[in-house]
Amino acid sequence: MNAIEVEHLRRVYRAQIGVFNRSIKEVVAVDDISFDVKQGELFGLLGPNGAGKTTTIKMLTTLLIPTGGSASIAGFDAVKQATDVRRRIGFIFGGERGLYWRLSGDDNLRYFASLYGVDPAVSKKRIPYLMELVGLKGRGNERVGGYSRGMKQRLHVARTLLHDPDILFLDEPTIGLDPVGAREFRSVILNLQSQKKTILLTTHYMFEADALSDRIAIINKGCVIALDTPGGLKQHVSDLSVVEVETFGTSEEALGKLRKLPFVDALSVEDREQKQMLLIQTTRGAEAVPDVMNALEGQRVGSVIVREPTLEDAYVRLVGGAA
Amino acid sequence: MNYGNLFKYWRTVLVVAEMSLRTQFSDAFVLFAIVFQPMIIAILALFMLRDKGGDYAMFVVIGSGLTGLWSSLLFVSGNSINVERWTGTLESLVGMPTPFDVIVFGKNLANVFQSLLSMVVSYALAAALFGYSLTLTQPLLFFATLLISMFAFICFGLTIAPVFVMYRSIQQWQNAMEFPVYILCGFLFPIALLPDWTTPVSYLLPPYWAAIALHGTSTADMPFPQIAFSWGMMILFSIVDLVIASQLFRIMLYKARVDATLDVD
Repeated sequence: MNAIEVEHLRRVYRAQIGVFNRSIKEVVAVDDISFDVKQGELFGLLGPNGAGKTTTIKMLTTLLIPTGGSASIAGFDAVKQATDVRRRIGFIFGGERGLYWRLSGDDNLRYFASLYGVDPAVSKKRIPYLMELVGLKGRGNERVGGYSRGMKQRLHVARTLLHDPDILFLDEPTIGLDPVGAREFRSVILNLQSQKKTILLTTHYMFEADALSDRIAIINKGCVIALDTPGGLKQHVSDLSVVEVETFGTSEEALGKLRKLPFVDALSVEDREQKQMLLIQTTRGAEAVPDVMNALEGQRVGSVIVREPTLEDAYVRLVGGAA
Repeated sequence: MNYGNLFKYWRTVLVVAEMSLRTQFSDAFVLFAIVFQPMIIAILALFMLRDKGGDYAMFVVIGSGLTGLWSSLLFVSGNSINVERWTGTLESLVGMPTPFDVIVFGKNLANVFQSLLSMVVSYALAAALFGYSLTLTQPLLFFATLLISMFAFICFGLTIAPVFVMYRSIQQWQNAMEFPVYILCGFLFPIALLPDWTTPVSYLLPPYWAAIALHGTSTADMPFPQIAFSWGMMILFSIVDLVIASQLFRIMLYKARVDATLDVD
């Protein structure tokens, strides 16, 4: 039996608009999503903002009723057997919300342990263990309001492990964390993975998904557009190389010229403070560099690198960040 | 909820109540609702009735305590659901295996318990500021009535909470619900002073029976059959409230999951 089975899941939000002439506007957040997650697997869910990742997770964690389709978690229906599902899952929605800031870290955990139905004698031992696991040992008696963002995120992890669930839903758990905090967080996730927990992870960070996930589904506009291992997804761009050009204040005209070059498969621009990084996907590899430099004539250019494509490049190609 | 759950989850109810008290005692608005507002009402009423003697002072003490109890249920319980929504904890609570109405029961228990402070504050105020010597005419029956009243208030509060789960804008109606109950339930003056047509409405409100019995055992020698009748009405309404709340929670939580109102996004 798979830990998670999702079949043709669909969710439509209905919003009332207008004051006098009221009408209902429908927004399709999840159109048609199907996938399975095996027991002990770390499954990544990637997609741009508004693709339907969080809505999918909320349906799987019983917090939203699907408009169509079905989802089974640990063999239980997410709508009809919600309480059975809730006993077996833990979930984290990224960010600082979802904790009681006026209570201490230990009291937050004692509260949620009670709501998860953990025996007080068990939670008394488990809370210090979890605080140590997430690197908050010695901080349990401080109010959560005084915790840093990273500490709150780690307390979320401790909270979700209180009842030792088999299946974890982590929705952008590293969002807003500094690089050190994010790295520590990833080591916690790897630790959970080594304990054979089934994990469904959404993230915007491609290297994170690449490093952690056994398989990845990429969703866009509410549909799964690709599902494979990280290596398999990279095969989508195995014919490509990526030319990375560091520039300073590149004009729209120059970018237009680049997009028109026949060998440019996709172009994306990342702003990095005062400079931009142009990521040009091409089948011509290093041979493309002279033409690229010609197109950027008159622009301030820094370093130029030609590299192998990554998961991010595959993602850009799949979700349509094309030239 | 199967109300056998209240026995199954008694430990959870106590933990929820403890954590609610800890959270709320650090909230200035809650302190205003349960301490300062009843204090202001008590001072105003004691000044207005200062020539009527000690019995009236006790009437005011009990009455202002009841106002604190109702305000606490209406604002703190209702607000707490909206605050949970804004802080992102409402989803966590609904996503727990513990039934949500057990959690709300624990929160209401905390609110009712802390609003007893309102009564103590009013009592101290009447004794210290106005020099009244306050005595309860039937102390044992008064405390028994207080316990039954607390249970009746908690159950009445349970019928309100599901509406707060479903409707994010319900706060706008809270103020409109506060004073009519003060008046219709005879918290600060007998309902005999109101037009006759309001009396049946009062009979349908559990706090009315609490007010009758609490006033009757504190400032008057209410005969036991009348006290027992009020207890019976409170217990009857509590059972009806629990049945209504059970259905409302089931319907409203399902609807909140359909309409996506558990979060503010």
